[in-house]
Amino acid sequence: MHKNLPSKVSHLLEEAEQLVQQGEREKAYLLSLKATSFAPDDPLAWYLRSQVAPSTEEKLVCLSRVYSLNPNFPDTQGELRAAVQTILKQEPFLAYVHETDKLYQVRSGRDLLINIPKNRAFEMPYLKKTPGTARPAFQWLSIAVIGLILGGIGAVFFAPIAAFQALRLQASTPSRADRTRLLIVLVLSVIIWLAAIPISWLLLIRFYPS
Amino acid sequence: MLTRALYLSAIWFAISLISTLIMGSRLRRNDPTISLLWLTGVILGGNIIAIFTFGRLLEIFSLSLLAFGFGLYWMVRLNEWNAPGQVTWAMTLITTGLFIIYTFLLTAFSPLNPLSFIFALVFFFLEAITLFLALAHMHESLDVVCRIEWHRLIERPEPIPDYQPMVSLQVPAYNEPVEVVEKTLNSLAELNYPNFEVLVVDNNTPQQETWRPLEEICRKLGSRFHCLHLDQWPGYKSGALNFATTQTDPRADIIGIIDADYEVDPNFLIELVPAFADPHVAFVQTPQDYSDSKGDVFSESMYRGYKYFFEVSMPSRNERNAIIFAGTMGLIRKSVLDEIGGWDEWCITEDAEASLRILKKGYQSLYINHSYGSGMMPINFEGLKKQRFRWCFGGIQILKKHWEALMPWAHLVDPENKLTLAQRYYYLVGGLGWFSDVFNLLFAFFLVLGAVFNLFSSPVKVRPLTDTVLIIPAVFLVLHILRFIWVLRNRLRVSFDMAIATMYNFFSLGWSVTLACIQGLVQKEGVFLRTPKSMTSSKAWRAIQVTQWETAIGLICVVVGLLAFGFERNWRTFSLCLLLIWQGSLYLAAPLYSLLSLKREASLGTQVRVTEQGKPMVEQLAARWVMAFSMVLIGAFSLVRFLPSPTVLPAYARFLPVDLSPDQIIGRQPQETAIPMTPNIAPITATATLPSTASGIATVKVDSANCREKPKGNADRITILYRGQAVEILGRNDDAKNPWWYIKIPDSGGNCWLWGMTTDLTGMLENIPIIQ
Repeated sequence: MHKNLPSKVSHLLEEAEQLVQQGEREKAYLLSLKATSFAPDDPLAWYLRSQVAPSTEEKLVCLSRVYSLNPNFPDTQGELRAAVQTILKQEPFLAYVHETDKLYQVRSGRDLLINIPKNRAFEMPYLKKTPGTARPAFQWLSIAVIGLILGGIGAVFFAPIAAFQALRLQASTPSRADRTRLLIVLVLSVIIWLAAIPISWLLLIRFYPS
Repeated sequence: MLTRALYLSAIWFAISLISTLIMGSRLRRNDPTISLLWLTGVILGGNIIAIFTFGRLLEIFSLSLLAFGFGLYWMVRLNEWNAPGQVTWAMTLITTGLFIIYTFLLTAFSPLNPLSFIFALVFFFLEAITLFLALAHMHESLDVVCRIEWHRLIERPEPIPDYQPMVSLQVPAYNEPVEVVEKTLNSLAELNYPNFEVLVVDNNTPQQETWRPLEEICRKLGSRFHCLHLDQWPGYKSGALNFATTQTDPRADIIGIIDADYEVDPNFLIELVPAFADPHVAFVQTPQDYSDSKGDVFSESMYRGYKYFFEVSMPSRNERNAIIFAGTMGLIRKSVLDEIGGWDEWCITEDAEASLRILKKGYQSLYINHSYGSGMMPINFEGLKKQRFRWCFGGIQILKKHWEALMPWAHLVDPENKLTLAQRYYYLVGGLGWFSDVFNLLFAFFLVLGAVFNLFSSPVKVRPLTDTVLIIPAVFLVLHILRFIWVLRNRLRVSFDMAIATMYNFFSLGWSVTLACIQGLVQKEGVFLRTPKSMTSSKAWRAIQVTQWETAIGLICVVVGLLAFGFERNWRTFSLCLLLIWQGSLYLAAPLYSLLSLKREASLGTQVRVTEQGKPMVEQLAARWVMAFSMVLIGAFSLVRFLPSPTVLPAYARFLPVDLSPDQIIGRQPQETAIPMTPNIAPITATATLPSTASGIATVKVDSANCREKPKGNADRITILYRGQAVEILGRNDDAKNPWWYIKIPDSGGNCWLWGMTTDLTGMLENIPIIQ
């Protein structure tokens, strides 16, 4: 685990591990402090420090750092949760700071910044969804439907535009789902156009009552 | 023929529905012989009425054969229903289908100017959607009352010894009174289940003194109880619940949601958890019940209103694995919740939205129709109105997000979408159902506008108000109201009076639902309704003030209806008046219930607390869309007057459906009588000797009148004439008491017979020659 680290940090961590095994936690803590200052982006250094941290708060901060650096670091999530639970038993207050699709960042009642894993699939929020490539065709189709309801003439013009858009976008659409959508737009626009012909005829004959 | 078929099917529909109202819940067998006899009986009963009124034997026979075949098809398809249900459903479909065809033909071929035609077409589409929604309600009612075989109905899941997975119960709270949450937590402490934890999640409660005591209560109740206060947390309740899921015990397999005001039965978990032994079951829902339902009409009717969903809609949905997760008093598998990405923080009805995403993945759901807990209902009508607004807004959000997943082609676009056709239908209808109240308001608006234009003698015609378009919708309205009362009485076991009160409780919320529908369409993010602020300390005045829009709409409907009948007394204005009074009563129920809710408010004596989170929507602002739309419609209606209408009968009008006169419908069709001919008038016996000059002028005095081949009400129609049209009379029949004019069709070489009762005569009767 230490082979990718600078030799100095690697050496510090090995030494700290040995001290932990010998029960020299305070010395090990001092070494872990040095290691995290030399290699602040190394999850192992932070994890080791969390194991010898003198307080729950510090342990929590270290584990939180480990999780943000490497969400898959072994044992971190369970220990992090246990540490959060301990803190919450003392003070059940958490304020929202920000979140990503992987974690929440919160501030505890004692002003600690904590990363908390979400551990669930990411569902893209509806409002943030990027419009699909089929969208322009759907928009024209919607206008055609409105045209159909309002006497049919609009649909006679807009349904072919929707169909044209569907055909035009078909070639440049990589996703299978969007290509299917465009095919559906094409079929629907043909149906709407066919329905619009008699309805618009019924409208037009009213301009010539005789 | 179409009109006669429509009336015949309406008679079948009425007979079948009325017999279902009487026998539908009593007949607990689905014997094909009974179904066959029931179908035959309904068809024959309708035929007898038709034969003695307007019918023609050949037509009746042909239509009966078709209806019989259609009925047989539904008998086979709905073999889990009893005979009355099967036959009523078939007859409802036939009548609805024929009426849609009739109104389309009437819309398409009435001599209207172009703008009127566009209005008529929009009106037609609205009518068709409304009828579709009415069909959906009918299906749901018949499904739960007339169903004999239930495939997914279980009283309780089978107990499984040693299957006791860990359950994490989450209690979301926002600004809740401590004593209320304490009761809930105490009831949870009594749960008869060994393996559970309780996580109280208070989100964004501003006052420390409100949420701090919860911490102490949890501590007292033991190590199973955990408390969490989330500050400045986004995503409202769902945001808080999503975070709470990260803090559940990792051993927990199941998550339960319990609202902070629910007292839970000790057997809640021990009886429901075994359902999760089946790995396909993702969530289980039980009814939401309320403890404060007695004491006054408002509370009881509101309670029954809630119960309707859990006694009618949910059992029907459960048969198709299409229930919704209603949040509180439900359990959900944690791994599935993680798999779908948690609760949607964008949607304000996140529970229902999550259930759709779960079903999309092909999981099973289960509804157990047994109450395991009771909570508190809104304290007054204002609270109820806000709650319904929120539910409807959430429903529209779901529809906007998932519409594509509910379409018939959904599985082509997304092969991962495992929703069945029935599940898509229920979710689509569930979303579209909210729009019934929008359409209801639109119909009220059209009726008011029609009556107002009529009052000012400005006959703006959207489409001809034929007798059929007055009678058949009235039949639909009455029968559907009876059906609604019937299902309420059967499933909720309530008295007739309470069924009416519950029905009005539903309708009184129509305005809030309308606002939520419109707001849901135009607004992206979650809002809650803010009713107008009161400038007075009078509670009664406040009660009226929160329903000021409903009161205004209701009063307008009633006043305009009465004025319309007062100014011109005939059966049409009488029908219009009745319809407007009915519409008005739906809206006027709101101030009535608001006043009635004062009793509840006083008896509970609880302070109304702010429990809504998110962007507020002031009711006056929300109503601006309705006002703007009304103004546009009025403006467009006024334009209709300035466009020329056809002065002569256009050729396309020959495709109009023949309308039956009221006398024909009730069986008093004009008959030839043996009155002796006037001796001084020589009868003209052959068309060859027809006079070429007019001997009188007939002016049509009804909206539309059929001109027929023979002087008989059931003769073929040649053409149709409209109010105010004047035609030359060439002759008449020999019945002075029941005259028919033989007229020259305007701008055409032809002739036809026009019933004298529909016209005003200019000229002397004696001068008109008799034609035999």
